[in-house]
Order: sequence, then structure tokens, then C-alpha cells
Amino acid sequence: MWCGILERKKLSDKKILKKAVKVAKKNGFDNVEIKVEDRVVYLTGRVNLWEDFLKIGSLTGKIKGVRGVVNNVDYPGKKRRERKKGRNEKIGEADVVIIGAGVVGCFIARELSKYNLKIILLEKAEDVACGTTKANNAMVHTGIGEKMGTLKQKLCVKGHKMFDKISQELNIPYKKCGMLILTTKETLSNYKIPSFISNFICRFIIPFILIRRGKKLGIFMEKIGRKKLLEKEPNLTRDVISGVYSPTYGITCPYLLTIALAENAVENGVDLLLNTEVVGIDVENGRVKSVLTDRGFIKTNFIVNSAGLYADEIAEMAGVREYTIHPKKGSTIIFDKETGNYINHSITFLKFPRVEHYKGGGIMLTVDGNIQWGPTIVEVEDKEDTSVTAEEIEHILKYYSHLLPNFPKNKVIAYFAGVRASTFTEDFFIEASKKVKGFIHVAGIQSPGLAASPAIAEMVVRILKNEGLFMKRKKNFNPYGRQRIHFRELNIEEKKRLVEKNALYGRIVCRCEEVSEAEIVDAIHGKIPAFSVDAIKRRTRAGMGRCQGAFCLPRIVSIISRETGIPPEKIVKDGKDSNLFAGRAKCFLEEKND
Amino acid sequence: MIEKDIAVIGGGPAGMASALKASENADVIILERNEELGGILPQCIHDGFGNFIFNRSVTGPEYAQHFINEIEEKEVDVRTDTTVLSIDENKKIIASNPDGILEIKAKAIILAMGCRERTRNQILIPGTRPAGIYTAGTAQRLINVEALMPGKRVVILGSGDVGLIMARRFALEGAYVEGVYEIMPFPGGLIRNVVQCLEDYGIPLHLSHTVINISGRKRLDGVTVARVDEKLKPVKGSERFIPCDCLILAVGLIPENELSKKIGLDIDKRTLGVIVDEGMETSVPGIFACGNVVHVHDIVDDVTISAERAGEGALKYIRKGYAHNEEIRVIPGKNVRYVVPQILRRKDFDKITFYFRVVKEEKNVSIKISDENDVIFERRERVVTPSEMIKVEIHSSLIYERSAKQLRIDVIGDE
Ligand SMILES: Cc1cc2nc3c(=O)[nH]c(=O)nc-3n(C[C@H](O)[C@H](O)[C@H](O)COP(=O)(O)OP(=O)(O)OC[C@H]3O[C@@H](n4cnc5c(N)ncnc54)[C@H](O)[C@@H]3O)c2cc1C
Ligand SMILES: Cc1cc2nc3c(=O)[nH]c(=O)nc-3n(C[C@H](O)[C@H](O)[C@H](O)COP(=O)(O)OP(=O)(O)OC[C@H]3O[C@@H](n4cnc5c(N)ncnc54)[C@H](O)[C@@H]3O)c2cc1C
Repeated sequence: MWCGILERKKLSDKKILKKAVKVAKKNGFDNVEIKVEDRVVYLTGRVNLWEDFLKIGSLTGKIKGVRGVVNNVDYPGKKRRERKKGRNEKIGEADVVIIGAGVVGCFIARELSKYNLKIILLEKAEDVACGTTKANNAMVHTGIGEKMGTLKQKLCVKGHKMFDKISQELNIPYKKCGMLILTTKETLSNYKIPSFISNFICRFIIPFILIRRGKKLGIFMEKIGRKKLLEKEPNLTRDVISGVYSPTYGITCPYLLTIALAENAVENGVDLLLNTEVVGIDVENGRVKSVLTDRGFIKTNFIVNSAGLYADEIAEMAGVREYTIHPKKGSTIIFDKETGNYINHSITFLKFPRVEHYKGGGIMLTVDGNIQWGPTIVEVEDKEDTSVTAEEIEHILKYYSHLLPNFPKNKVIAYFAGVRASTFTEDFFIEASKKVKGFIHVAGIQSPGLAASPAIAEMVVRILKNEGLFMKRKKNFNPYGRQRIHFRELNIEEKKRLVEKNALYGRIVCRCEEVSEAEIVDAIHGKIPAFSVDAIKRRTRAGMGRCQGAFCLPRIVSIISRETGIPPEKIVKDGKDSNLFAGRAKCFLEEKND
Repeated sequence: MIEKDIAVIGGGPAGMASALKASENADVIILERNEELGGILPQCIHDGFGNFIFNRSVTGPEYAQHFINEIEEKEVDVRTDTTVLSIDENKKIIASNPDGILEIKAKAIILAMGCRERTRNQILIPGTRPAGIYTAGTAQRLINVEALMPGKRVVILGSGDVGLIMARRFALEGAYVEGVYEIMPFPGGLIRNVVQCLEDYGIPLHLSHTVINISGRKRLDGVTVARVDEKLKPVKGSERFIPCDCLILAVGLIPENELSKKIGLDIDKRTLGVIVDEGMETSVPGIFACGNVVHVHDIVDDVTISAERAGEGALKYIRKGYAHNEEIRVIPGKNVRYVVPQILRRKDFDKITFYFRVVKEEKNVSIKISDENDVIFERRERVVTPSEMIKVEIHSSLIYERSAKQLRIDVIGDE
């Protein structure tokens, strides 16, 4: 039987190679060498431009049957990252080490904490949820927007259904605000076809296809005519033709979710090591042996690689790189809460031809009552490129504005970018490595990684079981996250009672979001303590309102300093090297005098 | 439930002046969210305050202290460390402080919440979001009150008075101020400040320039500036990268009107402040406003004077009330950006002061106030600039005697 499988694999490797060579030739990539092994395409050689590097990666990634593309093609100016040095001191031992405390890593940690296992969760940043997880659109997608038959679709459909339970257990915000998927006069405007035909397509064909798709996936959706749409959304453009309503589309808060997951995991015995960067992996006799970090090494039998944008580099450390991450940035604009009532559902519209691997973004509600427009999709060279360009701002404001012609677009309060960890096969890559036992890939978690995260965690647990991890359920697992108090959400009687119990609830520190001092102190002394201004912001929303911290920053700095003993001038915005201040007043004058 | 004649929200110069006036004849409470009275003044340690009121220039803290002393003398009920959370149309106020949640019922309310600063997001500067970007007022508080230096190599965007004063402040602290950049072809602040804050310290002022990109991952490592054309769009090829660890934004103040909006007060699209009449009463009877919630003032003395009017207005209201019937609209005409008050309600004040700003600088102009038929007031002025508020005080009888429905203010140049 084994022979049969190997035979087939070899056969398909050959086929893939043939196709890849053909594609490369056809597109003029003569200097690219191609190898295929176990249905993974390995590219080496040289091209002239970064764009060509992307192109050959995508072209080979599209070939049927390809599991992964490792793109080591060189181009002028390609940056090489230096790996940090590790420390040769044992700092722990675990059954499973999870790398990366984004929503995915934290979910896996929490899922594994249901069993009697020693688990260590490693994160290089000073807080959880500092990677892609903090900068996305917070949509709990149903899966309707994903390519049919992909793993990401399957897990998204499943994950979405798990959100009710997880949000209740962990006490985090989750709202099924519903989504309207619209066709408008813009939908087919790129095609030269008579308007009665495009109208017909927009009115009947597109909704029909969407609803049929939903049925296949078990997602309830209904067609809505123009008149009803305008009743549901009075501010909508009169150019709307038709739409499909997906009532179960949800929104959540990705960092509160991730923090709650991590806190709950820690509550149930997981060791979370922050400020700990993985720099190497020891493999012995084809099995993982230990994880090397900049603080020391950890002995372990299993490694879960959920390092987001860096998953390819982590896999490389174990010698099992089977994919290359090519970062894709997405920028989003957030509007003042004042605009929050402008729409009643999240809204998106279809535009053809569609940009590949892109759901198209839209105008979306948030659990906090703001409205967001976006995101964009832009290939970037640098995994840390979270800049929002002038072109992106302009594009977003223009692209969506026809949906809501009178929206007060001047009420922007912030914009940000996140980076998607895409592979060239443009799908999640979740499996146990066949080459190195005990190494589990959880890579390529681009959108809808947040929505899919509960299902990803479940899948990883199953894989670990299959790989021989002995798992016994804990009797005393506590599934519940604690109730985080948000003063602004309480009624006056509740507020009175709180202030009576703890006077600091009575002192409002962030005026825009009505955050009290007690909430900030609570965040500082939380299970996962918040020492930076942004970590406090993620937990309490202080500084997320319209003045963007202009008013509360000095106060928060002095509270952090008071509670932790860190001198105020040493307090950071968001982790190492993000010092807020250059020193105490007069310090430059003293320098000069010295 | 605390019952008061008049509740004042905000204890800056506006709140204090209105409260002092009102307390001459009523039971007044001041609610201030900071730990001390004075509003923005305690952090303004430069001088230039009080030229009209005291006939000499004092610092911000000194100016504030004068009024704080008077408030103490008059034993006005002051609650500091107290944030007002909401106000309803029945003039019930909910406020919060560490002692508890206060419910206050007032016969009249005076809003004096001041203003807040425009951020980099509101002017859509592209780039990253590192540490090291501060609005000027925040930087001022950090240096002057918290004794913390926001940065060492500083670029300042915006040449309003606040930006200019901060440039000097950084220079005095030994930081290197690379320059002040101003998108308009003229400085936003007073000429006096350009000389005293920039020229005296050798700090260059780059007019018709703006910041078009922010870079740096964790801490700011530089900004890109560019020249702008007449349409204020960046000129290709004029970009220049400036390494710096600090960007100070002095790009405008916006009246703080979240509470006002919740009550549903009418807001002026031009000032972004609440609309008031000659007695500083808003669109809801019994709710008054003064200071920077109405429009942004450059000189605190004007705040104090107009705030006294609000105090007076509130006193008159609780004594006899006003019906909001007959209204005269005040319309900004030629070369006038906005006018306050925006409406007149024929109240019994002897004099009415109009505060307004021009759109563009002009020399040798005449300021005209007219109704539907005639010019009822005219005054000559040598220079008018957008950065300096113009005041015109006239006898109310001049207006009330007429049956005007509308007044217009024009600033007309001599061709
Ligand atoms: C603009 C945008 C919008 C999106 N919108 C949505 C949406 O609406 N709905 C949705 O479902 N999905 C959305 N996504 C996708 C979603 O955000 C991601 O799929 C998800 O956050 C991935 O989580 P993660 O845990 O895999 O990655 P990350 O959050 O990036 O976590 C990886 C972690 O690994 C750490 N790490 C990396 N290297 C090391 C190392 N060597 N040692 C230790 N730690 C390391 C990182 O610091 C990081 O914290 C969006 C993405 C973007 C960019
Ligand atoms: C940097 C700077 C430099 C200046 N330099 C000069 C100068 O040289 N000369 C000069 O004459 N003028 C100067 N000014 C202008 C002058 O100081 C202001 O116009 C004046 O302070 C405005 O007074 P205000 O009372 O309206 O507002 P503020 O002084 O801002 O006071 C408003 C108060 O209301 C409080 N408040 C707001 N909301 C609430 C709430 N919900 N509950 C309770 N309290 C609340 C605030 O805490 C604040 O204390 C300067 C201003 C600035 C910012």
C-alpha cells in the first residue's frame, strides 16, 4: 500500500514539475530553477524585479495539486533578515510549545489547556495579539466569500458557528450584525454590455448564485429587492440594484478575544512567555527536540508553528519549509462613533472582475459602534510594513463612497494597516510535517483566520492526537473568562454601586471612550499585565476615541508609573524601542552642560 | 440629587468667569474634570495673557490663579476631578467622581468645556503609527506639567500660536527644532509670535509646506515634507525626508461638543461650536455656552469677557426666562468666515459684541453690518487677517429698533 501512495506522489510531482516548467517558460522566467518534492514547488534562481518574484510564486501556486511553494528566487535589493542569537540555557520543558500568541496560537493554547499537558506559549512581543491579530476588520465571516473547496473556507464555515459559544464562555463582544452583499450600477461597469443585460445579471443571476452557494455550505441567506434594501438601509445609494442578506454575519473584537483566550489558557495552566523570540529549533533523529529562544531553550516533543507572518522562517529553522509567506497589506479607515447609526448592517458590494483572493472589503460595523471602511489589498515586500499610503486613503474613500453618497467622510478618527500572512497557494497550510515528527504547521492564516480560529484550534488538537500526543481531559478545566468591566456600558445604578466599591471607577481618564481609572489599573494588574499604553488601549479602549489619546496619554503614563514603579520617561507605546519620551524635561540642557 | 440655580460645566477661564458673574445672584456649581481649575491655562507657562483685562501681560497660571482666588472668596461650589457624563433636556446632569455619581438638577446650565486638538488622522497624513507624534497641547502638558520631553529632534506642523509657542518651548529645553511647516502661504499665528518664538531662536518657518508621510516602526524616525501648490496639493519632486524623533501637530482646535451634541444643540458648521445668541444662550432654552465650545479664541481675555455675558444671560434666564420666538439671523458675508453670535433674540442687553474672522488677509477694509435694507454700522480697519479675531461692539438699540430678520457682516476692501 505504501508503495502505491509513494508511486502516486512521485507521479504527481512529475506532473507538477512539467506544468511549472511550462508556466515559467511561457512567462519568460528562464533563470528560475524549479524542483518539486512531495507536491511542494521549490523555486530558486534569479529575476530582475520583486514583482517577478511574486508573479512566478503565484503562477506556480495556482497549479492544481500543489501543496506549497517555497520561493527562494533572488532579485536585486532582496532583504535578508539576520536571525537573533539564542541563549544556551534551559528555561523549560513542555509537551507542546506553541509559537506565536496571535488569535490562532492563543486559541490552540486554550484548546490544549483542556487536557493534562504541559504547554508553553511563546511570543516575541510584550503582549498577545500584537501581530496581524490586532489590525484586521474583526469580521466573523460566514465563509460565503471564500473560494469553494479551500481549507480556509471549510474552517471558516465551521469556526463561524462556534463563535456563539466561545464569546459567551469568554465574555467577549460578539454581534451578529448581518451583512448585505449588494449589486449596484458599479458592479459590472467595467464591461461593455447593454444595461438591461447587466441589470438582469445583477438582479437575478448574482443573487441566485450566492444563495445557491450558501445552501451548499449550510449558510442561510435571502435575496432582498431594491425597495426593501432601501427600507433597511435608508442611507444607501439609489444606484443599488439588488442584494443578498446574510443575517448571521458577525463582528467581534479580535484583541479582546485573543487576550481572553490567553488569560483563560493561563488560568488553566498554560505558561505564556512574552518577550521571548524563537530563533532556532533542534531536531534529532527526525523529531523535534527543543525550541531555542533569545532567552534560553525549551525541551519539547511537539511544536505548533502559529507564528503568522514568520511561520515560513520558523519552519525553515526546523528544516521543513514548505511555503513562503508573501505579505499582503490591508488598510482600513475608522470613523467616529457619531457615524455609527448611519448603517444598520455591514455592507459590501460586488465588483467584477474580482481581485484575486480578496473578498472586496466594505463598510463594516464594529462592536464598539464605529464604522470602518476597507480594507485594501496590497502586496508588500516587508512583513512589518504597516504604513497607510496616501493612495490607499484616497482609494478607500473613493471606492466605497458610492454606496453611501452622503456619509460624513470627514469624520475619520484613525486608519491602520495589517499584514496578511499569505502563501502562494493562497490557503491555510495546517498539517503535521512528514519530514520532522512533532512539528505542526499552522501557516498561511490569512483572512478569514479570525473567523476560522476556533475551528483551526480544533483541527490542530486532532492532528496532535494523530501524531501520538497522549491527551487526557482535565477534570477541572474552567472554560469561563472573567467579566471585564466597561464603565461606559453600565447604567447609572450600576455605576453608582461600582464607585461605592472602588472610588477609581468614578475618575474618568479617557473622556472620549469614558474609561475610568479603575479599568486601567485593572488592565495593568491583569492576568496578562499591560505595561504599555497600547496594551492598555487594547484592553480598555482608552485612547481609541476621537482625540486619539491627546488628552489621556499623560494620565495613563502616570498611572502606569504609579502602579508599576517604571519611571514615566521609560514608558513605551507598544513594546521595546517604542519609547514615548526622550527623557525628563531639562535633560538635554544637563547633557549640554556636562 | 443636588439642586442648583446654575451649573457650569468646565472650570477653565470661560467656566470660571461665567460662574463668577452668575454667583453674584445665584447658587452656582462648577464641575471640572481636571484636578484643578484653570482649564488649559496651567500648562501655558508663557506670558501674553491678560493684556486687556489686567492691562499687563501675565502667564497662563497667573491669569488662572486670579480667577481661582475670586472663586474661592465667593465660595462657589466647585467640584474638581469630576467629569460630566451626560446632560438631558430637562437640565439634569450626571457627573462622576471618585466620591460617587452625582445627579444635579439645575435651572440653567452653562457649557464651558473648551476644545480639543485636531489629530494627524483628521488631516489624513499617511504613514505608520509610531511613538513620537503628539499634538501641541499634549506636548505642552507633557513638558510643562509632567516634566517629560516628547522628543529631541522635532518637526512642527502648523504655525498657529500654539505651534509657534511649542517651537520655542522645545528650543528652550535644548531640543533641536528642525523647522515649522505651514501649509498656507502665511503664518497661522500672530506676527509677534513668529518673531519672538521662531526668529529669535533661529527656527526656520517653511510656508506652503506640509508633512506628507510619517515613517518609523516603533519610534518615529522621520517625516517627509513637500511644498504645496495653490490648491494645497503636494508638488511632485519637492519631497524632502527629515530625520526626526518627534512630530508636533498644531493643526487646529475643535470645540469640544460631545455633550452638546447629545442634548441636540444646534452646531454651527463653520465654527464647529454651538450656536448662541447675544446672551450666549444655545438653541435649547436655559442652556448657555461660552469660551472655546462656542468658537476657538486666540486670546483668553476675550474668553473671559464673553463668558461673563453667559453668566449674565443665565441669571436673566432664571429670573424671568426668555421665549425663543423672534429671531434675527446673523450671516457671514463677504470675506467673513464666521460670526458669533449667530442669532439675536432681542434680549435686554445694552450692547452686543460680534466676534468674527475673515477668510483671507486684506488691507484697508471697511467692516459693514447691514440688515435687509441699510448699512447700520461701519468701521474702517487697516489690516485684517484670518489669525486675528475681529470684535465689533454696537448698541443693541441700533438693531432692535429695526424690524430686521437678518443681519450681514461684510468686510470690503478698497479694490
Ligand atoms: C487588513 C486585514 C483585515 C482582516 N480582516 C479579517 C476579518 O475581518 N475576519 C477574519 O476572520 N480575518 C481577517 N483577517 C485575517 C486575520 O487577521 C488573521 O488571519 C489572523 O489574525 C491571524 O492570526 P495569527 O495568530 O495566525 O497571526 P498573528 O496575529 O500575526 O500572530 C502571530 C504571532 O507570532 C509571533 N511571532 C512571530 N515570530 C515569532 C518568533 N520567532 N518567536 C515568537 N513569536 C513569534 C508574532 O509576534 C505574532 O504575535 C484580516 C487580516 C488583515 C491583514
Ligand atoms: C497652547 C495654547 C497657548 C495659548 N496661548 C495664549 C496666549 O498667549 N494668550 C492668550 O490670551 N490666550 C492663549 N491661549 C488661548 C486661551 O488659553 C484659550 O482660548 C482659553 O483657555 C479657552 O478657555 P475655555 O475655558 O473655553 O477652555 P479650557 O481652558 O480648555 O477649559 C475647559 C475646561 O472644561 C473642562 N471640561 C471639559 N469637558 C468636561 C466635562 N465633560 N466635565 C467636566 N469638565 C469638563 C476641561 O477639563 C477644561 O478644564 C492659548 C491656548 C493654548 C491651547
